[in-house]
Amino acid sequence: MRKLLYTFVTLAVIATVSCSKLDNFPQPNATLTGRVVDAGGGKTTIQTETGGGGTRVKLEEISWSDNPTPFYFYSMQDGTFNNTKLFASTNMISVEGAFVPLVQYDNAGNITVDKRQKVVLGGSAQNITFEVEPFLRVEWVSDPVVNADSTITVQARFSRGTSNPDFQNDVSDLFLYLNTVPYVGNNNYDNRYSRQVTYSGSAGNALLGQTIVLTTTGKLPPKRSYWLRIGARTTYGLKQYNYTDIKKITLP
Amino acid sequence: MKILRYLIIIIALACGLNACTKLDLAPMNIIQDNDVFSTNGGIQIYMARMYSELPIEDFRYSPQRGLNMFWIISPFPAVTGEALSRDQRGAMTEAVLYWGDAYKLIRETNYFLQALPKYAANFEAADVDSWIGEAHFIRAFTYFSLAKRYGGVPIVSDVLQYPTDNVTSLDVPRASEEKTYDFIAADLDTAIAKMSGSNQQGRATKYAAAAFKSRAMLYAGSIAKYNQVSLFDDSHNRLCGLPPEKANTYFKAAYDAAVLLDGQFSLYKKAWAAGDKEAQYQNYVKLFFDGDSPENIFVKQYSYPQSVHGYDAYMVPLQCMGPNGYSSEVSPTLNYVEMFDGLPKNPDGTIQNLDGSGKYILYDNTMDIFAGAEPRLRATVILPGDNFKGQSIEIRRGIYTGSAAGGISPLIPAGSTIQYPTTNIVQSANGSQTPYTLPNGTKMNPAGASGTFFSEETCSQTGFFIRKYLDESLDKSQVKENNEDQTWIEIRYAEVLLNKAEAAYELFSAGQTGANYQQEAFTAINLVRERAGADLLATAADLSDLKIIQKERRKELGFENKIWWDLKRWRILDKEQNNSLYRVMMPFYVAENYKYFFDVRKDEKNRFYNFDPKWYYEQIPTDEINKSHSLKQNPGY
Repeated sequence: MRKLLYTFVTLAVIATVSCSKLDNFPQPNATLTGRVVDAGGGKTTIQTETGGGGTRVKLEEISWSDNPTPFYFYSMQDGTFNNTKLFASTNMISVEGAFVPLVQYDNAGNITVDKRQKVVLGGSAQNITFEVEPFLRVEWVSDPVVNADSTITVQARFSRGTSNPDFQNDVSDLFLYLNTVPYVGNNNYDNRYSRQVTYSGSAGNALLGQTIVLTTTGKLPPKRSYWLRIGARTTYGLKQYNYTDIKKITLP
Repeated sequence: MKILRYLIIIIALACGLNACTKLDLAPMNIIQDNDVFSTNGGIQIYMARMYSELPIEDFRYSPQRGLNMFWIISPFPAVTGEALSRDQRGAMTEAVLYWGDAYKLIRETNYFLQALPKYAANFEAADVDSWIGEAHFIRAFTYFSLAKRYGGVPIVSDVLQYPTDNVTSLDVPRASEEKTYDFIAADLDTAIAKMSGSNQQGRATKYAAAAFKSRAMLYAGSIAKYNQVSLFDDSHNRLCGLPPEKANTYFKAAYDAAVLLDGQFSLYKKAWAAGDKEAQYQNYVKLFFDGDSPENIFVKQYSYPQSVHGYDAYMVPLQCMGPNGYSSEVSPTLNYVEMFDGLPKNPDGTIQNLDGSGKYILYDNTMDIFAGAEPRLRATVILPGDNFKGQSIEIRRGIYTGSAAGGISPLIPAGSTIQYPTTNIVQSANGSQTPYTLPNGTKMNPAGASGTFFSEETCSQTGFFIRKYLDESLDKSQVKENNEDQTWIEIRYAEVLLNKAEAAYELFSAGQTGANYQQEAFTAINLVRERAGADLLATAADLSDLKIIQKERRKELGFENKIWWDLKRWRILDKEQNNSLYRVMMPFYVAENYKYFFDVRKDEKNRFYNFDPKWYYEQIPTDEINKSHSLKQNPGY
């Protein structure tokens, strides 16, 4: 009986101890929102894809170290970003994606361009805008048209987004993406119907500024909605895509 | 009283004597330097450990599970486009990242290099030199394994002391990629200078180091020439990428290293005979099994039961499956098979399976279409109907039961990914088949004994199986995991010839004059082709494109776990695997006239391949990044 009592007391002590609060730091409550816009093209946001192939925000926290391990988070596919769970801190913030890099180096490793923004997070939400030059501007020329054979034809155009010759690499791919949900891009498309055109060498450059007609492959099932988007990319660096915005079309 | 006095004296003496014993002893249960570095046996044990850790991508490597792992499903060839596999659904980069084990091995080499000179008096001077060379080779091999994955890596060339007061001295930052390759070259130069031309089997020689140098420097040259990615750290070190102007320096180093092997090794031709395709085929098969092959430069041996692998168990055709299952893990693609000479081809280089009017060409046997194939193809890939282990390997997708009058039109439209129609075709879901009765009354299973089934995936996925390295003498009952012990040939002379040809061609096309590079490249390529039984280049001028050398490399070194790295260093893998489907060739039997036709199509299982360009430089393990204040991650991760 006494043993039982001791056991209960011990357990009670342990239970009480476990109540003590060890995590006495404030929760991350700083908010960073913003968008990446085309510096030249009417300040529209730079369309991207979600995840690894898209635009990402890079935070280098310099509150306590000159040489921090960066923290990344990805932008949404419309080119805006929002993170409400950041710690209060001082950061050098930049974005990486299918546009002229914000930090550039010469051949000797000297920084020649540095458009990072120093931002103190904490308190009220920070809203920042990055003006960048996309490698390619991809645009709709007209609205998608449904053909009699259950395919969709679109007209598109791509052109250089930068006049800096160092970033005018050969155009290598043009892609008409189709998906059955509003999330569409190189990371997320239906490969039965999407249409890819590849250019070897500099062949794609001749099409800059031209109107290009693309048609989906296969026969689309009727009476449902599809989301379409066009992407194009150059051979620069990690070869990420630039995109148009997304158009929805419903087959009769 | 007297007794007490004696007792005190005895105790005092006993304690005093004891106190004279030295307590500061090396632990008796740990082997000390002077145990290891005093006999040849000790050195051999130390070497054995280092060699066993050497990052050789052999029968026990897959990108999914890393090095030294017996279970090689998700096989490497199914990542490169050489093959398709039921366990690999698309492109990938390595899932197990080689980093920590590398620095363990580097520490062992550094320790060896530091300790051995202190004990040099125990040995012959020539032996000491040779061992020092060997340790440099092992260190260079390890650093190259890192450099080809990550670019510039931290260079540790001494034994780091820990525990230490100065922890920051352990936090070594990445060196530039250029310094890393130069370090590898310097280590290999030491190895070449210090080692002799012969050594125990499975250990490095002067020539292994030279051959390896040609490989590593060729890689560096290609990166200098073709890489697009750049990454600098704050100290102006270029961690990813090499200066383009150094490309020729590296190609020249690769060429010069390859030349060192001239006359020392030769292509295996013991069973070869000019103009005899059967002999050339047999010769090519044997080259992977002859322990005395003049082509072997550096090998990794296996021995049952201490050190084993399961290559045959995973790779044999379904009808040769061993008692514990598996088989059919790798099915070579038609894209791979089409690279070989001697097949009927369309003008665009694809295999010709249709006649002029767009109907299938009919054959009596499935091997007929391959009658003129270069012998190397048969020795690399098991073709449908070819003989293996004394039986015909039967691969058939189905039986065509429709009318053959006027020819048979393609079953599905060209380029389509749809399934085969069910009208006029009988097929099987798996190995338990219902025989179909042919017009003459005989019965035939719709699919072959090794496939291809439309549901069950343990069968040929493409119409082919792998042949290279499979042990034909292994009894069916022994085709089991962890039961095989073929030797892995890590470096053979054919690769050195190809390294030489490529380096020479790059130097020639860059306008370099130091040797007759064009002629040297031409000679090397033709040596490889002649042994393979392939069509020879007529003149040196015919070697007009790097693609010719690339193709030769893919044919000669296919399924030897080298091609992925080649496709990466040429920076062409993201173009090859750009939303790509590989092609397959399916044999069908025509019931009406007892003949075969071949349908060529895109992979039925719709395995799309997409290589992400950021994978050219792999991700440094994130826990290593988190541990260090100075380690910088590669771009895109």
